[in-house]
Amino acid sequence: MSTVPASGDAAVARESGAVAGPSAQPVLELVDIQQIYGTGDAAVHALRGINLAVAAGDYVAIMGPSGSGKSTLMNLLGCLDIASSGVYSLAGNDVATLDEGQLAVVRNREIGFIFQSFNLVPRMSAVANVELPLVYGGVKRAERRRRALDALGMVGLGHRANHQPQELSGGQQQRVAIARALVTNPTLVLADEPTGNLDSESTEEILAIFDTLADAGRTIVIITHEQHVAERAHRVLSVSDGLIVSDRVSRKEVFA
Amino acid sequence: MSLLDILLSALRGVLANKMRSILTMLGVLIGVASVILLLAVGNGSAATIRESIAALGTDTVTVRASSTGGGGGPGATATEGSTVKEITVDVSDKLSDAGLGHVSAVVPQVSTSLTVSSTASSSDSVSIIGTSSDYFDVSTAEVGTGESFTEDDVASAAKVAVIGSELATTLFPTGSALGESITVDGTPLTIVGVLATQSSTGTDDPNTVVIAPISRIQRSFTGFGAVSSLLVQATSSDDVAAAEGEIGVMLDQFLGVGVDDTAPYTITNQTSLLETEAASADSFTVLLGAVAAISLLVGGIGVTNVMLVSVTERTREIGIRKALGATRGAILGQFLAEAATLTLVGGLLGVAVALIGATFEINGTMPVVLDYSIPLALGVSVAIGVFFGVYPAGRAAAMRPIQALRAV
Ligand SMILES: Nc1ncnc2c1ncn2[C@@H]1O[C@H](COP(=O)(O)OP(=O)(O)OP(=O)(O)O)[C@@H](O)[C@H]1O
Ligand SMILES: [Mg+2]
Repeated sequence: MSTVPASGDAAVARESGAVAGPSAQPVLELVDIQQIYGTGDAAVHALRGINLAVAAGDYVAIMGPSGSGKSTLMNLLGCLDIASSGVYSLAGNDVATLDEGQLAVVRNREIGFIFQSFNLVPRMSAVANVELPLVYGGVKRAERRRRALDALGMVGLGHRANHQPQELSGGQQQRVAIARALVTNPTLVLADEPTGNLDSESTEEILAIFDTLADAGRTIVIITHEQHVAERAHRVLSVSDGLIVSDRVSRKEVFA
Repeated sequence: MSLLDILLSALRGVLANKMRSILTMLGVLIGVASVILLLAVGNGSAATIRESIAALGTDTVTVRASSTGGGGGPGATATEGSTVKEITVDVSDKLSDAGLGHVSAVVPQVSTSLTVSSTASSSDSVSIIGTSSDYFDVSTAEVGTGESFTEDDVASAAKVAVIGSELATTLFPTGSALGESITVDGTPLTIVGVLATQSSTGTDDPNTVVIAPISRIQRSFTGFGAVSSLLVQATSSDDVAAAEGEIGVMLDQFLGVGVDDTAPYTITNQTSLLETEAASADSFTVLLGAVAAISLLVGGIGVTNVMLVSVTERTREIGIRKALGATRGAILGQFLAEAATLTLVGGLLGVAVALIGATFEINGTMPVVLDYSIPLALGVSVAIGVFFGVYPAGRAAAMRPIQALRAV
C-alpha cells in the first residue's frame, strides 16, 4: 500500500511518539479563534474562542453535540474557511499570510480532508475521484491510476473502482472519500465523522487504517459521535457551544 | 495539471452531461449557421445585381427626348416663341462629327411597337428599334447567328432586320430564321441576323426585339421627325460623366436651347438606375446581417443560459476541487477547455451546415458565402460561450472552498 509508509518508518514514528509524546513544535496551533456567521441579529457565534495546539503525530478525536461547532472548527483546520478572528498557525505559519496558490498547495499536499457529506464529484468514477488530488498535485497519469487503485483497495473498494458515486451506497461513498483523502499521503488527516455512515465492520476497517496512519506518525483529527471511535485516538476534545470544554487523554492511552 | 489532463477532463465534463452539451452546441450551431447563410443570401443577391450592371455596359449614356418640349407646367411662360429644335438623325450625325473628346460613338434610335408576322405565326406589340449599324458595337446586344446590317443598309434604307432569339423561335418554330422574311405592319423585312440570347435587365426584353436600319423604320413607320433617343458611348467607363457634360453642351448648341429654356431631353447614365438597385441590395444585406446578428445574439443567450446554469450547478464541484488542492487557474483551465470544446464543435458544425446550405438556391438567389462571415460568426459565438462558461466559474473559483461547497 502506497498510502502508508513502510513498516520501518512506522516503527520509528511510533517510538518517537511513545517516548517523547507530542513533540514541542505543534503542527496546528489555534489562538482565540472565533467564527461568526452572518451579521447583526442573525449572527451565529459558531466558535467563541478556541485555543488549541496539536502536536505532530497526535491523534485527536473531537466530540460534542450537534451544532456545537465541530465542523466549523474542522473546516478552519483544513484551510477551507477563514476564521472571523484569531490566529491559526499550520506548521508554524500563520495561514492568514498564505496566498491562494500556497493555500492550494497546502490543501493538496499537507491535508487529507474527509467530509461529513462525502463530497464526491458526481458523474465521475470512484477511481477518477480518488485520482483528483493527484491530478492537482501533478502526478503522472500511470502513477496516479496505480496509487488511486491502491487506495481504493485499501478501503475495500477495489472492485467498485469504475462505479460512479450515485451507484454506490452511503458507506461505499464514504470509503471512496477516505481513499481520496489518503491517496496523497498527507501529513495531516482531518475527518469529519468518517464512520458516521458505516456499519461496525467497515468502521473497524477504517479505524484500523487510522491506527496505522497514527503509528506512522501522521497527525489525525477526527470528529465523531461514537465513544468507542473517540477512544481509539490519543486525545479526546469535547466541544460545546463553540468552546472546548474538556481536553483529556483517551482511555486507550491511559491504559497503554 | 498538464494540458492533456485539462483537455481530458474537459472531454469528460462534456460527456458527463450530454443534454447540456447538446443544447449548448445546438445554440452555437444555429447562431453560426444562420449568420453565415443570411449574409450569403444578401451577398448573393447583390452579386446578381453587380453582374447585371456589368452586362449592361458601364460606358454608355442615353439621351432621351422629353415628350413635352418646353416642360413648363400649366400657366408657365408660353413656348410658342421657342426656337428649340428636336433631336433628329441629323443632330445625331452632327454630334458624331463634333469631335467630342470623351465620346466615341453616337447612335440614334427610334422605337415603336408593332405586330410582326411570319408565314408560320405572328406576334403582337413587338418592340421595333430603328438604329444605325454602330448599335451592335455600342449596346450589349450581340449578333449570335448571321450578321448585323451595314452602314450601306442604313444609307439605302434596306429592308433588313436583326431579331431577338426568342422572337425568332416564336416566328420560325421549325427552322432557322436566317434569310427568312417577316412582315412588320405590311412591310416585308429580310432577317440577316439573330441576336445572342441575353439576360433581360432593363425594361425591354432584348430577346424579343426587331432591330432594323433607322432609315427604313423612319420611312415605313415613324416618319423623319425626332428620334426617341441617342445611345452615346463614352471613351471609357471613367469618362461617362465627362461625356455626359460634352453631349449636353453640344446638344444645347445644336438645338438652340437658351439659358431660359428647359432642355427638351434628359441624359441618363445607364448604370445609375442599377446602382440604386445595388445600393438597395446592399441595404438588404445589412438588414439580413442585422437579423443574423439577432439570431447570433439569441443563440448566444441560449449558450449563456446553459453555461450559467451548469456552472451554478457545478459550484459545489468547484468547491470540492478547491478543497482537494485545485488552484484557481486549474479550475479556470478546466471550464475554459470545456466551454471552448463545446462552442468550437457547435460552431464548426454550424459552419458546415451553412456551407452545405449555401449550395442550394434560396428564394431565387444563389447564396455567396462572405469570407469574413465565417470567422466572424465563429469568433463571436465562441467568445460568448467561453466568456459565460468561464466567467461564473472564475467567480466560483475565487470563493473559499467552503463557500462554494455550501452553494446549492
Ligand atoms: N454557513 C453557515 N451560516 C450560518 N450558520 C452556520 C453556518 N455553518 C454552520 N452554522 C452554524 O454554526 C453552528 C455550528 O455548526 P457546525 O456545522 O460546526 O456544527 P457541528 O458541531 O458540526 O454539528 P453536527 O454534529 O450536527 O455536524 C450551528 O449552529 C450552525 O447552524
Ligand atoms: Mg458537523
